[in-house]
This record gives sequence, structure tokens and C-alpha cells, in this order.
Amino acid sequence: MISEPTIPSLEQLDATGALRESFAAVDGGSRRDFLWKGTLAGAGFLAALSTPAWAKGKGPSKSLDLLILRFGLTFEHLQAQFYEEGLRIGGFSEETKRWARVIGAHERAHVQIIRHVLGPKAIPSPFFDYHGVTEHEGAFTKTAVAMEDLTTALLIGLMPVLDSPSLAAALFSLLTVEARHAAWVRHDRGLLPVGKPFDDPKTIPEVNRLVASTHFMKSTPKTWSKNAPRFTG
Amino acid sequence: MIRSRAATHTALAATGIVVAVAVITFGVTALAGVLRRHQPEIAPKRKVVKQSRISVPSPVHPAFVPRNHPHPLSGKTPMSRWALVRTAAVARAQPNPSAAIVARLATRTPEGTANITSVVGARQGSDGRLWVRVALPVLPNGTRGWVPRAALGGYGLVTTRLVVVLGSFKAVLFRGHRAIFKAPVGVGKASSPTPKGRFYIRDKVLGFSNPFYGPVAFGTSARSDSFTDWPGGGFIGIHGTNEPGLIPGRISHGCIRMKNRDISELAKLMPVGTPVVIR
Repeated sequence: MISEPTIPSLEQLDATGALRESFAAVDGGSRRDFLWKGTLAGAGFLAALSTPAWAKGKGPSKSLDLLILRFGLTFEHLQAQFYEEGLRIGGFSEETKRWARVIGAHERAHVQIIRHVLGPKAIPSPFFDYHGVTEHEGAFTKTAVAMEDLTTALLIGLMPVLDSPSLAAALFSLLTVEARHAAWVRHDRGLLPVGKPFDDPKTIPEVNRLVASTHFMKSTPKTWSKNAPRFTG
Repeated sequence: MIRSRAATHTALAATGIVVAVAVITFGVTALAGVLRRHQPEIAPKRKVVKQSRISVPSPVHPAFVPRNHPHPLSGKTPMSRWALVRTAAVARAQPNPSAAIVARLATRTPEGTANITSVVGARQGSDGRLWVRVALPVLPNGTRGWVPRAALGGYGLVTTRLVVVLGSFKAVLFRGHRAIFKAPVGVGKASSPTPKGRFYIRDKVLGFSNPFYGPVAFGTSARSDSFTDWPGGGFIGIHGTNEPGLIPGRISHGCIRMKNRDISELAKLMPVGTPVVIR
């Protein structure tokens, strides 16, 4: 029997403590410091956010739609790689593998389709460092819940600012799927699948700050060089 | 008396018929009136329905609709993982902070690239932390050691594997189970043999101007047993050549040489972190 008190607090869901810290920062406190950390860790996201349309708070426009799609692509990359890494190396139970396999496949499909729609305007995947979360079943599941809830909140937040009705229709089809992902993982953990009658929206900058605080996104390691080789020959 | 009763009955019957006809006529007339009164109300309802059909637009066609069904990971494709050495670390014989030191891992390679290591296992250490077993780029070749997970960065996953067969002077690159590249190679001379074992690609060097190495060179974790004092540590590379006529053969100081067009092709197919099996 699932009961109300089993709804986890953010503290319980937050594997690294970083999400909690960033929520606090969004509400005030160390916001400046937090934004700076976000800039360092989430360079890819903030680069996408640096377009004047978003910064000046303009209404819906085609350029804002493009920005949203690119942000969405990065966020889907984050999720797709998270599930893939967990499945490949996590050594999880069959129950966890079951939903992670299905949800991971969905996230990869989202990456594929958004990349296809963006064409040459698609941005490459960042490099991710999940700090061991994908190697621990409990941490993996908690992070999956937080991630799916966050995706749902992000998509709700995006809907009113979209310019294109057809893009809104497409993202709605993602929203319903992501919400069901969240419910599925919550249920698997013995949590109430739907905690509230209404979901709260989140803006791109809010989500960006949250993701940046996890330090999951890194710059790709520079594994190439133009220096003269010194191999034995 | 009887006649008058019969007449009375006849008169009553006639009256009854007349009343009945009158009631029916009234009823029909009243019903017709009711129907007439209701008729104008039905018509506007139809109009309302018609208007609502016009005012509700058709569903918007989504900007993107996936054509294919998503495929869950099969788990059948062989996959290897590598990790960035985030902080300089000590590799130990066991996942234990007091275990014997096997080697030290730097964050940079001799070529100035970010140092990576091939991950072969993971376990919770005696200190409760997660430890990772890695392949070490040290002599003797094939050395493994344990480092704290926290010393490493994010994982890279690769599905490629390079197999070099010294006896037949051939290199084959696999993606999953499928061979996607084959080329003849030059390998180490008898005096400076190419080491056998399991290694990995550490980095890629390109854009340099030394024809001896061709257009591209890969650095591996393998090290020469013969040239231990070679600049940079005597690492074995996979690279091009300015003497393609010598390939295939035992021609090198331990490196694996390919014709320039082959190494250029390989550079497009083989990512850093790819395991290398030399046998």
C-alpha cells in the first residue's frame, strides 16, 4: 500500500546534495556564487542560453524555439547517456534494468529525433561525468527520479513560451512520456507515483542551474595533440 | 319504458363519440402546436453544433514524429570503458588505501594530452569507497591496479577493438563483432619486438610535420621492453610511414606501422579508448 508519507523530499532524492544546494541557491542565498559555478560546469547549457532572445525576456519567436530545441537536445543527451552508462556498467537488479532499459531507449529516441530536426544546427553531446551515480543502484534510481521529475517540470515550463504550435504538439508528446517515466521510477522505488494534483513548471535557466550544480557535464577531455610524437617508431 | 331507455342509451353513445372525437381532435391539435413551438428550438441547436465544429481546429501536426520504434540496449555488443585521470593518483595492488603501490597515474601523457585509463572492474574498497581496477601504462606490460573512483573523471564507452596479429602482419578493427577495417602492418624487429598483450589507445597525434610517423599517430599504453630510456618513456605507437615499401614486415623499433592511406582511414574509425590486443 503506497501512502502519502512516502513522497520523498528533495533531500532524499538528491544523491549528491548538489540539487538541493541549487534549489536553495535559486531561492536566494548564494545565488551569485551558484551562478558562477553553473557557468563553469554547465558551459554547454549557458552557451545555448546566451542568445539575446532569452536574456531579454522576449516573447515567443523562432529563434527562441531553436534555442529551446538545442537545450532540449543537451538535456536528452544527459539522460540517454545516464541510462546507457547505468545499464552497461551498473550491475543492477533485473527490476531496475527493466525500466532503465525502456526509459533509456526512449531517451535515445528523443536524442535521435531532436538531432534530426535540428540538422546542422544540432549541438554535439557534451562529455558527462556522473561521479559514480551510475555504479550504485540506489543512487542511480534516486537520480533517475529527480531527473525525470525535472524533465517534466522543464517541459511544462517551456510550453507557454513556444512560438510554433507544431513544436508545442511535439513537445507535448514528450512531456506525457517523461511524466510517465517519473511515475514508473517512483512506483518502482515504492514512492507515490504522482505526488501532487499539479506539477510546477521550471524555466530553462532554473533547470540549467540545477544540472550545472550536479557537475555532471564536463568539457570533452583533450585526447589529441599536434605535438610531434615521441613513440619508439 | 323500454323504448325510452334504448333511446337514452343511443343518445349517450352518440354524445360519447362526439366527445371522444373532440378530445382526439384537441389532442392532435395541441400536440401539433407543441411540436411547432419546439421546432424553432431544435433548429438553433443544430446551428450551435455546426458552429462548434467550425470553431475547434484540428489537432496540430507535431513538428517531429519518430519513424522507428526505440530499441533497448541488447547487451550483446562488446563494450569497453575508459576514464579520464582527473587527479594524479596512486594505483594500488588492492582496493585499499594501505595496499602496496603498483604505479602512479599522471593527468597528462608525454604528448601533452589528457591521460586516460582503461577500466576493467570496480569494487567497494575496505574504506567504504568505490575503487576501480584499471590497466596501467607501465612496465611490465599488462600491469593492473586499483585507484579510488574519485580520482577518475567521466567514463567513455567504445564498441571498437583493434587486434594486431604479429605473425601474419595484420591489423583488424572490429566494431562490435564486425570487422570494419583490415590492413597489413610493419611490426618490431627481433631486437626490438612489439610487446604482446592487452592495451588501449591513449591519444591521437596529428598535424605534425615528421614524415617518419606519417600523417597520424596513435599512442598506446604498451611500452617497449627494449627502449626503456626512449624520450617520452618508450611508448609503442600505431602510425604511418615514409617507407611504405617495407610493409608488411619486421621493420620497427616496436611500433606498429601502416601505410599512410591505411592509418588515415583508421583515424576516422578508431576512437581513443579503444582496446588493443597484440598477439
